[in-house]
Amino acid sequence: MTTSHEPTYPPPRRLRPWNAVEKRLAKVGITGRMLVLAAPVIWLLVFFLIPLFVVFGISLTTKQFGRPPYSPLLTTEEGTVQLTLHLNNYIRLFTDNLYVAAYLSSIRIAAIATIITLLIGYPMAYAIARAPGQWRNVLLMLVILPFFTSLLLRVYALTGFMRGNGVINQFLGLFGIEPLVMMQTDFAVYVGLVYTYLPFMILPLYTNLVKLDDSLLEASADLGARPLRTFLTITLPLSLPGIVAGSMLVFIPAIGEFVIPSLLGGPETLMIGRVLWDEFFAATNWPRAAAVACAMLVVVVVPIMLLQRAQNSVVEK
Amino acid sequence: MAKKPQLAIDTRPWRDTANNKPFVRIKNVTKKFGDVSAVHEVSLDIYRSELFCLLGGSGSGKSTLLRMLAGFETPTSGIIEIDGQDMTEVPPYNRPVNMMFQSYALFPHMSVEQNIAYGLKRDHLPKAEIEARVAELLALVKLQDYGKRKPHQLSGGQRQRVALARALAKRPKLLLLDEPLGALDKKLREETQFELVKIQESLGVTFIVVTHDQEEAMTLATRIGVMNQGEIAMIGEPTDVYEYPNSRFVANFIGSTNTVEGTVTEDEPDHVRIHSAELGCDIYVGHGVDCAPDQILWWAIRPEKMILSRERPEGVQGANVATGIVEEIAYLGDISLYQVALEGGKRIRVSQTNSVRGNPDAITWDEKVYVTWDDNAGSVLTV
Repeated sequence: MTTSHEPTYPPPRRLRPWNAVEKRLAKVGITGRMLVLAAPVIWLLVFFLIPLFVVFGISLTTKQFGRPPYSPLLTTEEGTVQLTLHLNNYIRLFTDNLYVAAYLSSIRIAAIATIITLLIGYPMAYAIARAPGQWRNVLLMLVILPFFTSLLLRVYALTGFMRGNGVINQFLGLFGIEPLVMMQTDFAVYVGLVYTYLPFMILPLYTNLVKLDDSLLEASADLGARPLRTFLTITLPLSLPGIVAGSMLVFIPAIGEFVIPSLLGGPETLMIGRVLWDEFFAATNWPRAAAVACAMLVVVVVPIMLLQRAQNSVVEK
Repeated sequence: MAKKPQLAIDTRPWRDTANNKPFVRIKNVTKKFGDVSAVHEVSLDIYRSELFCLLGGSGSGKSTLLRMLAGFETPTSGIIEIDGQDMTEVPPYNRPVNMMFQSYALFPHMSVEQNIAYGLKRDHLPKAEIEARVAELLALVKLQDYGKRKPHQLSGGQRQRVALARALAKRPKLLLLDEPLGALDKKLREETQFELVKIQESLGVTFIVVTHDQEEAMTLATRIGVMNQGEIAMIGEPTDVYEYPNSRFVANFIGSTNTVEGTVTEDEPDHVRIHSAELGCDIYVGHGVDCAPDQILWWAIRPEKMILSRERPEGVQGANVATGIVEEIAYLGDISLYQVALEGGKRIRVSQTNSVRGNPDAITWDEKVYVTWDDNAGSVLTV
């Protein structure tokens, strides 16, 4: 009948200013969760989404002399606002063979580099994941170590290895082997891409493989599968999310790579990053460069979405 | 509980070792991890169609022994033979053995059917045969409608049955089960225990079960091997292990026991008299014991083998009656467990069956009571 037996709890004690702030924010309908989310949202908005729209806007203008070097989107004339959208930049992308070839070549180079990275990275990730506990962190550190120096320095160092009188050719010279031409070839670009992006393949693969339950491998062996069969039927399918994640992390930046093809590649190495650079700086054609960039985004986003869907269907267990 | 009736042909080959060849023979097997011996000089013979339980606490080496049978660990020394064949150099994928893992180790990316078919596919059986066998196994574990599901869509009990079906798929000569019921709740465990025994009996496969649950071992096993610190402490049928433990460890590990220390005062071929200061009386044992006068030894008795009374009972040969005060009573429904503080200072536990409903005359707290027992009720232990 009476509630006198129910103990009354004092409200939880908190810092006074926080209480006041929280109450005031709650009145406007803002919760702590929203505040936490706000930081990354604002960051992405200011530094990613708005610039993206600016670039997209520029891609719909035409080149002109002056500053800025493109026509305005909006013009006001006698009290009317006029929006002028030039689509010819995009039309040129499809009609000019240079761009189509550059896109296809970029995709081809990035795909081949991704496959090579996967073939080299998988065994490494597997070995690290299977290494004794105290070794794993050391090995992972070694994988990450190259990031301590700048990409540019490392790519220059590669030229030191591969150029005509570089380390490799000098070594071969000791055995009387003619110097090999490596620089300014597609080979050098692949070496650079694989070398640079290998950690991005290894790390997600490692995090996947290290979680692999040993008892699954034992169960497979117990049921009569030899080690290779166990790898193909158990380890490989279960590491598919890691393969997808690693491949995405390599493939996507490799498509738009500029530094590596321009330093290591030759004139015949056609990649969209270099085309974009040339449009922007050599031809000062900002609208065309912006259109190239926007089209590249589409080229990259489509495979991401496809892979993401593939990954979701695998992860969904 | 699940004691099998004695048949005309004795189904217990271990009782007649001269005429029966063991199916699994473990000879002086030792396994060291670094300097630590997980398994030490274990020798064990297991016969065809047995359901042998390896019982022990954690770190007793029971799982290591099982893993050596499966081939996941190689013995540091010693020999393991299965069906007369030395298994030391045989990799797991070539052994006539299958294992049911404690975690079940079901392949998460395969359906129930694919899991069960996995081992059969490795044998390159024709597709139709695999399908028939999978259907048969699904029926055996009563999961006919679950073949297309993935392991994560099943309950714990269903997963356990899939794991069992997968392990049985290749008709192994020997099935190893690592804590097969460990992940199930109590109710389901009890149901599954009997199902497991039924399947084992109908298929005639030899089972070796590792468990830390003595009740499970008692229910399932034809014989139990009690393991302690890497060694086999005792091998015997469940009744032997419970009623006739060979050491204080086994007596205390299985069920609950009162153990007292005593000195031999009379050592005759037909009886032994032990004086126990702790108990405050003599113990008369109605059979000969391998001991010497004045030897210090231990005597162990189960709580249910003793009788409580208010009046002084007769005892046996002027012995086997201890006096004490009831300190605690635990009412468990079917029985009541009394903790009695004896005059000798020892506290013992005595259980009494509650055969009268709501007995108003039951012995209660702080009463002076006499405890007595039969001359055969306890075990004399020298180790």
